[in-house]
Amino acid sequence: MSYENKILQMKKMLGKKSTTQPKAEQPAYQKPANPSYTEQWEKAGLTVVENDFGIVFKRQVNYSFSYQHGHYQLQSFFDALRKWQDADFNHPYALDGNESVLFFDTETTGLKGVGTHIFLLGFLEITKEAFVLTQYILADPAHEAALLFESKLWQKTATIITYNGKSFDWPQLETRWTLHKKTLPKLRAQRQIDLLHSSKRLWKNDMERLKLKAVEEEKLGFSRVGDIPGYLAPIIYLDAVKSGIPDALMKVLLHNEWDLLSLITLYSHSTHLLFEENKEESAKTFTNIGKWYGDLKESTQSVKVLERVTTQFDELAAGDAQYYLALQHKKNKRYSEAIDAFVASLHFVKPRTKLHVLEQLAILYEHQLKDYQQALYYTQEGIQLIQNNEQWSMEQKQKWVISWEKRWHRLGNKK
Amino acid sequence: MLSKKRTISELLNEWRYDEELKERILHWQTLEGRPAKYAPFPENLHPSLGKALQKRGIEQLYTHQREAFDLAQGGFSFTAITPTASGKSYCYHLPVLQKILEDKNARAIYLFPTKALAQDQKNDLNELIEQSGEEILSYTYDGDTAPGIRQKVRKAGHIVMTNPDMLHSGILPHHTKWVSLFENLQYIVIDELHTYKGVFGSHVAHVIRRLKRICEFYGSQPVFICTSATIKNPQELAELLTNEPHQLITESGAPVGKKTFLFYNPPVIHKTFGVRRSAVLEVSDLAKRLYTAGIQSIIFAKSRVRVEMIVTYLKELTRNKLLDESVRGYRGGYLPSERRVIEKGLRDGTIQTVVSTNALELGVDIGQLQACIMTGYPGNIASAWQQAGRAGRRQDEALIIYVAQSSALDQYVVNHPLFLLGSTPEEARIYPENMLILMDHLKCAAFELPFSVDDTYGEYAIQELLAYLAEEGVVFKTSDKWHWMSERFPAHDISLRSASQENVVIIDLSIPAQTKVIGEMDRHSAMTLLHEEAIYLHQGIQFQVEKLDWEEKKAYVREVDVDYYTDANLAVEMKVLEEDRSRHHTGGTISFGDVGLVAQATIFKKIKFGGKQDNIGSGTIHLPPDEMHTSASWLSFDAPTKWSEAELDGAMVGAAYAINAFIPIFIRCDSSDVAVVPQIKATHNELPTFFVYDKYPGGIGLSEKVYDLWGELLDKTLQHVSSCPCEAGCPSCIGVQDSLNESKGYVIKLLSYLGSQLNNEKER
Repeated sequence: MSYENKILQMKKMLGKKSTTQPKAEQPAYQKPANPSYTEQWEKAGLTVVENDFGIVFKRQVNYSFSYQHGHYQLQSFFDALRKWQDADFNHPYALDGNESVLFFDTETTGLKGVGTHIFLLGFLEITKEAFVLTQYILADPAHEAALLFESKLWQKTATIITYNGKSFDWPQLETRWTLHKKTLPKLRAQRQIDLLHSSKRLWKNDMERLKLKAVEEEKLGFSRVGDIPGYLAPIIYLDAVKSGIPDALMKVLLHNEWDLLSLITLYSHSTHLLFEENKEESAKTFTNIGKWYGDLKESTQSVKVLERVTTQFDELAAGDAQYYLALQHKKNKRYSEAIDAFVASLHFVKPRTKLHVLEQLAILYEHQLKDYQQALYYTQEGIQLIQNNEQWSMEQKQKWVISWEKRWHRLGNKK
Repeated sequence: MLSKKRTISELLNEWRYDEELKERILHWQTLEGRPAKYAPFPENLHPSLGKALQKRGIEQLYTHQREAFDLAQGGFSFTAITPTASGKSYCYHLPVLQKILEDKNARAIYLFPTKALAQDQKNDLNELIEQSGEEILSYTYDGDTAPGIRQKVRKAGHIVMTNPDMLHSGILPHHTKWVSLFENLQYIVIDELHTYKGVFGSHVAHVIRRLKRICEFYGSQPVFICTSATIKNPQELAELLTNEPHQLITESGAPVGKKTFLFYNPPVIHKTFGVRRSAVLEVSDLAKRLYTAGIQSIIFAKSRVRVEMIVTYLKELTRNKLLDESVRGYRGGYLPSERRVIEKGLRDGTIQTVVSTNALELGVDIGQLQACIMTGYPGNIASAWQQAGRAGRRQDEALIIYVAQSSALDQYVVNHPLFLLGSTPEEARIYPENMLILMDHLKCAAFELPFSVDDTYGEYAIQELLAYLAEEGVVFKTSDKWHWMSERFPAHDISLRSASQENVVIIDLSIPAQTKVIGEMDRHSAMTLLHEEAIYLHQGIQFQVEKLDWEEKKAYVREVDVDYYTDANLAVEMKVLEEDRSRHHTGGTISFGDVGLVAQATIFKKIKFGGKQDNIGSGTIHLPPDEMHTSASWLSFDAPTKWSEAELDGAMVGAAYAINAFIPIFIRCDSSDVAVVPQIKATHNELPTFFVYDKYPGGIGLSEKVYDLWGELLDKTLQHVSSCPCEAGCPSCIGVQDSLNESKGYVIKLLSYLGSQLNNEKER
């Protein structure tokens, strides 16, 4: 029978009340019953924690400081901390030695909306002796308040380090919390460091996909064996709750564990790069870093990184670095250095950037050096570049040519 | 023709003595004007609001606006019946703004059937707020809202203006991001209530039940304010849509000018086939007369093509004037800036005639016009009145000309002026109990908040249905609640505009590099309208179906320009599954219940436009039979004695055609929303039977209404068929007959036979 007909057969099951009575006063929070599979899950290695709101399953693993995860030991994180303390510039990813840090990752039953549950809260924290992984597993949807309460996120203050947590995990957590706002203390707002964001800045134009797994393989020297793909996690949890069998769920826990370990080493690796410690990265990555400092108004740092790119890589690879370097020089009013860098970039950047370079050169020659001959030369070059390009739309080209020709006429008069 | 400015009464005086017009204008009806009825501003009206109104030159309210204010203040949900140009938006703006001025935390949702209407109203509201000098934030929230300001709308918007589709998939499933709205929601405004009918209305009824459920969770109890055009059952509709008792405001205090209605029938040019001169040409001639008399008018036509035809014709008048913009076309899909230009032109008089599709019907402010011409009956009385309301705003005298096309309904209307002018508009029906629609929204509701094991959903007891959803694996039962437990996002799988989610998608191949989806159609209709070689009309443009991929549910179409349309035959087998209600009369039974039907498209004909409706080709349709479970009302009767099977068959086919055309007179729907199927020997009782069924899986409440209407329906149909001037059947009555046979006579006999039997029932 088709789905449609099946549903229509159910018409008889639909009861209807003539009037809607107001519902009786909601009783205070009632603790839900424990799921029938509680023992089964305990046998699989999970611990039951009970609080005022129900139960939550917990798993804890300690890692020694010297634990090796891919290229890095976990304690590389301490090196990173030291670097930030010694740094003479500011950066949004810098950590203060005193702030407590919480690496955080969740697993959910869907991608968005109120019907998506968080079924696993994974934390990695640092104690005096070890890195401690704590995972809280939703016993069943009725025990959600117990899970949230046990996370202590209403109580503690910590900087939350995630991979895409800023737009996914944390808002999702806020959603779950809102549903229990009548019973739970308020979720605390915390400082967020999202390593997806930094990965984008570091590896733009360098890596095609920025899935954590890809970053692990290409940059962190870690490859997963026997991992379950993340998109299966929802089905596995649903199945575990329905069947009571936790075997596959334990693999999701492992998946989450690896995510968290990689967050530590990714933070270390990123910090190394920001301090130019790792020489194996490409010109693109270092150019990205230089540009990032530039955007953060850390000009000295930006110039330092970009200049190194121009000395260590060939002209072609350093084209973009020259361009960003030139912009920094211009900003610092070092016009002749700016011109040199713009000229050096000219033949090694993409057409769109090249057009900007020509414009900048024309401006600098006209307004700073008052060399109208040169300014006119670059203006003509610009017009030619526009006219010869076949990728840009006619409409766009016309608009540009008009503004360029204005400059050309003006310069013609000045000459 | 003299090009001299005249007033409407001068013009009408001339027309009274015009021989040609005298013959074609079947009825003149004048409705006298009525002065405004005012009420003072409420005493507690916030001074800033009073100031804003005064800036607009308003010193007192119309009585209905005051009544609305008082009801809202008293915490009553209500529905106001508001004719065009009666200042209906004050019915909700005033109480809503008053509340926000009293309590800055208060919030309101405005619901408009379309995005464009919300945009229009936003401008108006913002102007009013500006005039009040207060800081009240109102935003539209729809697919076009920039991501940058969404956050702000959610957190700080006092008034959120949106549409049901956005509420359904963009707001409710994310309600935790809207806490301040739902915690403080005081008013829900539903504008254009009458548009919430049929499948769409039934879906929206559930969206509102979901909304109320969420409000309850956050502890708010909003009051509903609805405004509606005139329909027969506004209160019933509002109460069913919102599941909330409503007060009704029926009397408008707005002034009405004197209105003259002319009922105009194009002359017959081919008597045997009952063919009349094209209504478009007649309308163009009439519009020309109005134009030369200097009367500002609006012409309504049903399709874009017709609008273009009339505009082209009228532009002849201005051919010799350079840069003359006095005649303008207007259709849906214009950008707001283009619309503003037209609105301005109408106000300052540079535009004299505007030709529009029905797009103008809804809420566009074009100021006052003197005359309105309707090309054909717009399908329901409320729309007709909205179109007529475009002429003669305020106290001015107005002229409304209704020009009939040749369809049955049009011809009926032109011959029965009281139908339009009388006070019995159609009912708007919704049917939230349609199981397919209900289950869809039950899923969404479960997604949004878990159900307790003793919960109801709206007025429905749904525990058993939840158990079914648990079996299906989308919800999970814990000790006391049902929780959504699936990675799906159910609102994305559900479109509010169709009952069955298995629709055929229509893809336009006209421009090879830019193939695009131009529409969707339910499976059942697609069999006869989207088969290969069918001519499919989309917003007045002709497309030919090149390929119908039934497996993938995709129809590939290409724009064409042809002089024929296609008409497909659908063979339908009816099986009565369950008889819910029935009543007997002499020699027959009327019933209502569930039916299973198996429909198979068989052949199609290509029929030339106009003239004799020549059949210029045909073909076979190769599609598998389609099953549908829906609701139906059926009339079974004993065959009249001494009729041959062929005579009865012919009469039933003709009668079914005529009955189908008349259902929209009683119920606000399109004649394509229901179907009438004659069966000379029904499978369940072996009697001749007419079935009227809803053409949507699960039913949409139309045939249920027909159950009560059979008597009147047959009466009206009989009246019309007998008074139709054609000799042996035409598109206006029983449909074109293949040959000149006696069918028409038999149809009349059959209808009066059935009518007398039903009357017997009444007497007993």
